[in-house]
Amino acid sequence: MDPASTSKSEQPDSHTRRYDRQLRLWAASGQQALELSRVLVISGSATSTSILKNLVLPGIGQFTILDSARVTPQDAGNNFFLHRDSIGKSRAEESVRFLLELNDSVKGTADTSDLASILDERPQYLKSFTLVIAHNLRELTLKKLSSILWGDISGPPLIVVRSAGFLAEFSIQFHEHTIMDSHTDDIPSYRLDNAFPALAKHALDLDFDALDVTDHAHIPYFVILVRALHDWKQAHGGKAPEYKQLKDFKAQILRMKKKEDEENFDEAITQVFKAYQKTTVPSEIRALFSNPSCVNLDESSSPFFVMLHALDLFTRKEPYTLPLSPKLPDIKSDTVNYIHLQGLYKAQANAEKAEFTRILEEVVAKAGVAPVPSSVIDEFVRNCHQLKILKGKQWDQDDNSALLEAIATNPAQVGTHLALSALFAFEAAHKRWPLPGSEADLAVAQEWIDAKLSAAGWNEESVVQDDGTQVDEAATGPQSLTFREHVSNAMGEIIRAPTADLPTTAALLGGFIAQEAIKLITRQYVPINGVCVIDLISSTTGTIKI
Amino acid sequence: MSQIPTANADWPERYYHLDQILDRPGPRTDEAFPAGDQVKEFLREGCKILVIGAGGLGCEILANLALSGFKDIHVIDMDTIDISNLNRQFLFRPKDVGKPKATVAAAFVMDRVPGVKVTPYYGKIQDKDDDYYMQFNLVICGLDSIEARRWMNATLVGMADPDVPETIKPLIDGGTEGFKGQARVIIPGLSSCYECSLDMLNKQTAFPICTIANTPRQPEHCIEWASVLEWPRIKGDLKLDTDDPDHISWLYGVASARAQEFKIEGVTWSLTQGVVKNIIPAIASTNAIIAASCCTEALKIATTSAPYLDNYFMLIGTEGVYSFTFQHERKPDYLIVEEFLDWLLEKQDIQAKKPSLSYGNTPIYLQAPPQLEQATRKNLQRKVSEIVPAGNEITVTSVSLPFSLTLKVEYV
Ligand SMILES: [Zn+2]
Repeated sequence: MDPASTSKSEQPDSHTRRYDRQLRLWAASGQQALELSRVLVISGSATSTSILKNLVLPGIGQFTILDSARVTPQDAGNNFFLHRDSIGKSRAEESVRFLLELNDSVKGTADTSDLASILDERPQYLKSFTLVIAHNLRELTLKKLSSILWGDISGPPLIVVRSAGFLAEFSIQFHEHTIMDSHTDDIPSYRLDNAFPALAKHALDLDFDALDVTDHAHIPYFVILVRALHDWKQAHGGKAPEYKQLKDFKAQILRMKKKEDEENFDEAITQVFKAYQKTTVPSEIRALFSNPSCVNLDESSSPFFVMLHALDLFTRKEPYTLPLSPKLPDIKSDTVNYIHLQGLYKAQANAEKAEFTRILEEVVAKAGVAPVPSSVIDEFVRNCHQLKILKGKQWDQDDNSALLEAIATNPAQVGTHLALSALFAFEAAHKRWPLPGSEADLAVAQEWIDAKLSAAGWNEESVVQDDGTQVDEAATGPQSLTFREHVSNAMGEIIRAPTADLPTTAALLGGFIAQEAIKLITRQYVPINGVCVIDLISSTTGTIKI
Repeated sequence: MSQIPTANADWPERYYHLDQILDRPGPRTDEAFPAGDQVKEFLREGCKILVIGAGGLGCEILANLALSGFKDIHVIDMDTIDISNLNRQFLFRPKDVGKPKATVAAAFVMDRVPGVKVTPYYGKIQDKDDDYYMQFNLVICGLDSIEARRWMNATLVGMADPDVPETIKPLIDGGTEGFKGQARVIIPGLSSCYECSLDMLNKQTAFPICTIANTPRQPEHCIEWASVLEWPRIKGDLKLDTDDPDHISWLYGVASARAQEFKIEGVTWSLTQGVVKNIIPAIASTNAIIAASCCTEALKIATTSAPYLDNYFMLIGTEGVYSFTFQHERKPDYLIVEEFLDWLLEKQDIQAKKPSLSYGNTPIYLQAPPQLEQATRKNLQRKVSEIVPAGNEITVTSVSLPFSLTLKVEYV
C-alpha cells in the first residue's frame, strides 16, 4: 500500500494552512475563541489601526472602530490604514475599509457616533463586546468609560493605551481573569515519591538483576527512582531520603548500575530532584480554592470556577493531589519499556479524570449550570497544575504605598507613568494639549507631578533605601539616574512631542496591545497585571504594580 | 500613482507627528542633533536604507520606514509568497500567492505611502557585492535564516574601516519566535556582532540516530525515521521538498505506520510538517513589536534625535511583558590585531617591547623597518581570527625578548 494515497485527505484545509504558524501557539481552542470575539477600538488613530491590524490578521471575529472624526492631513501622514485620498472622509470608515483588506473572514464596522453620547445614553452598547481598547482618550471621557465598564462585573475588560512621542504605557482593567492554559514551564507531579499502585507494582516486580545488560540499560529512570526510593525506605525505617542525604541516595542509585556507561542511571541521577518532589497540591493552586467565585457557585458561575470547585473536592480524597497528567517527558529507554510506562500513566490519568468528571457532574447538578463539554474538561485536567487567576483593579485607582514601592524598584517606569499622567491631567484642566517645546506648559505639568508625589507622601529622603530594595535593572537599563532625573527626563520628552503619534511607536504598541488582547480572549498565556511602561529612547519596558 | 519621489508628493502637515521630535531635542538627545530642516532633509532626501527580507518582519519594517519619512528604501528577498504567510505578512493578499515577496511588498508600500521609492531585488543577498552594500547608510535585517544573517554580518563587518566612518554601516537585526523576540544594533567593528552571540541561539533538537532507527518513543522519532531514513531508501535520488504537500503526506503516512507498529500516539500531518520544516511559530503582533523596535533604532540612528540601543533588546511576552535591554559584549575572537598588541603590552610576564607579529612566514605586523611597518599597518584593524586559524600559533618577536615567543590561538 502506498502510504501517500491513504493520507491525501489529511492535508490541512486552507483555514488551517493560513493560520498554521499561530495554531502552533494557541491551538484550535484559542483560534475558536478569537473567531468568536468582538473588539471595540475607540479612535482611528495610527496606534488604534496598528492594534487592529494585528488582530484582523490572526482572524478575530468582528471589530468596531468608534470615531466621529474626519481624516486630517496629519492622520494621512502617520497611519498606514489611511491614504492621502482619505483626507476629509470619515476616519472610522476609511480605516475599516483598509483593515478589512487584510482578512476576508473578519467583519468590521465603522461607528461614527459620538462616544460621549454613548456613555450618557446607551452604555449597554459597550457591553456587547468581548474587549474594549481605548487609545489616548481624554481623561474625563476615559474616567467615565472605565467606571461604566468596571460597574458591571461581567463587563468586558478595558485596555487603556497612552502615548506621546517615544514614550507610552498601557494597562488592562479587569475584575478577575482566569487562565486554563497558561503555557508556563511548570511541570506536573509524576508522583515518584508516592507511586500509584500500578506504577509501584511495575517497579517492584521488575527483577533488575535478572535483566541482561541491554534491557537493564533501558529501564526508564522513573522506574529506577521509584525502586530506589522503595529500597531506601526499606533500609531507613520507612523514611524517604532527606536533602542532606542526597549524596548517599545518589550513591545508592549508582550502585544499581550493571555497567559504567548505563545512561538511564545517569539520567536518574540528574533527575533525582523528581524523587524529592512531594505529591501534594501546589500552594498556588490550593490558594485558588478559596476564591469566593470558587467557593460559592450559582447558576451564573463560569465553567472555570465550576471545574475549580470540583478540583477542590477531588483533592480532598486519596491521594490528596491533583489529577495525574497523562503526558510523560521523553526518557532514555527502549520503545517497549517507554510505551509500557506511558500506558501505566495514561490508564491512571484516565481513571482519575473519570473520577474528576463524576465529581464535576454532581457539582454541575447542584449549582444548576450547563454541563461542561468533555473537550474543556480535558483541557482543564491537562493543565490543572498551572491554572491561574489574576486579580485586577479599576483604572486610575493608583495606590500611594504601591507607588512609593514602585519608585524604589522601577524609578524610570514610574517617571514615565507620571509624565504621561501629567499630560492627560493638563488637557483635562486646560481643555487643550501642551504646546510642543513650551517651557510654560512644562512647568505646569511638572507642578502637577510634584503635587501628586507629595500627596503620595514621597520626599527626597525616601530615595535612600537601606532595606535592600533592588532596582529592577532589567527594566531600567544600564544608566543609573535618580528618580527626580527620570521624572524630569520623561516630562521634558513629553513636552517635546505632546501630541505625536509616531508611526514606529504606534506600530510597537500595536504589537504589544494585540498580544495582550489575544491572551485575554484566548485565556491562554498570562497578560500583564499592572501598568506596562515603554521608553523607546532607552529601548526598555517595565511593568509596575501601582 | 507616481513612483518617483518628488518634494511635492508631500502635503502640508504630513509629518506633523514626526516633526515634533525632529524640530527640537529632548532631555536625552545628543547636543550635536541638527534639529529642524537639516535633519529632515537628510532623512527624507539623503538617507538610503536597505531592508533584508520582505517576510514577517520585512513587511512591517517597510511600512514603518515609509511612514517615518525614509524615502529611498531598498529591499532584498529571494522568496515567493505562500498561503501560510498571510496570517502576518500584511502587504500580501491571496491573489499574490506565488509572486516574489520583494516586488509585491515594494509596490504595495509605494502605492499606500506616496512619494516613497522602494526598490525591490528578488534574489539572494549573496548576489550583491561590497560596492552595492557600500551605497547604504543603514541596513535592517528581518530574516529567519541564521546562515543569511551570518553572511550579512560578515560582509558589513568586513567592509568596515574604522578610519573611514562612511564604511561603517550600522546593522539592525530583528528576530521572533512565537511571543518572544529580540532586536539589536550592531556597529560593525565597534560593537558586539552576530557572530559574538551565536552561542545564545537555541540549539535545534537533534535526535540520536539509534533512537530513530531502533528505539522510537515519541511521534517526532517516527517522523525523523520517515524523512531521514525511509525517504532516501525508497525514493532514491528524488530530493525531499518540504514545501511540497504531497511529500509531507508521504512522510506522514510512513511515520504514522511506524507509530502504529510501536503503539506511539501523536503523529499528525501538522506535526510532520513542523518537524521536517523546523517550523517556528510566528504571529503578527510579535513581528510588529520587533520590527517597530528595529525601525525606532533606525530612525534614532539616522536622525540622532535620541540615543540608539546599545545594543540588545530581548523580549518575552508569554507571561506578562518581560524585556531585557543590555549591552552584549564582543567576543574576543573578533579581537583586532591592534587590540591583541595592547593586550600583549599589558602582560607583565611577557615583557615584550615593540613586539612584531607573524603567522608562519606571513608577517602580521612588523615594527621595523619603516617600509614594512607601513606595509603591515593595515593589518592592525583586521580581526586576528581572519588571519590566524584556530589552533595555530602567532610568533611574537621583540628586541626586549631574547627569543621568539609563540602563542597558540583558540577562539571561544
Ligand atoms: Zn562579533
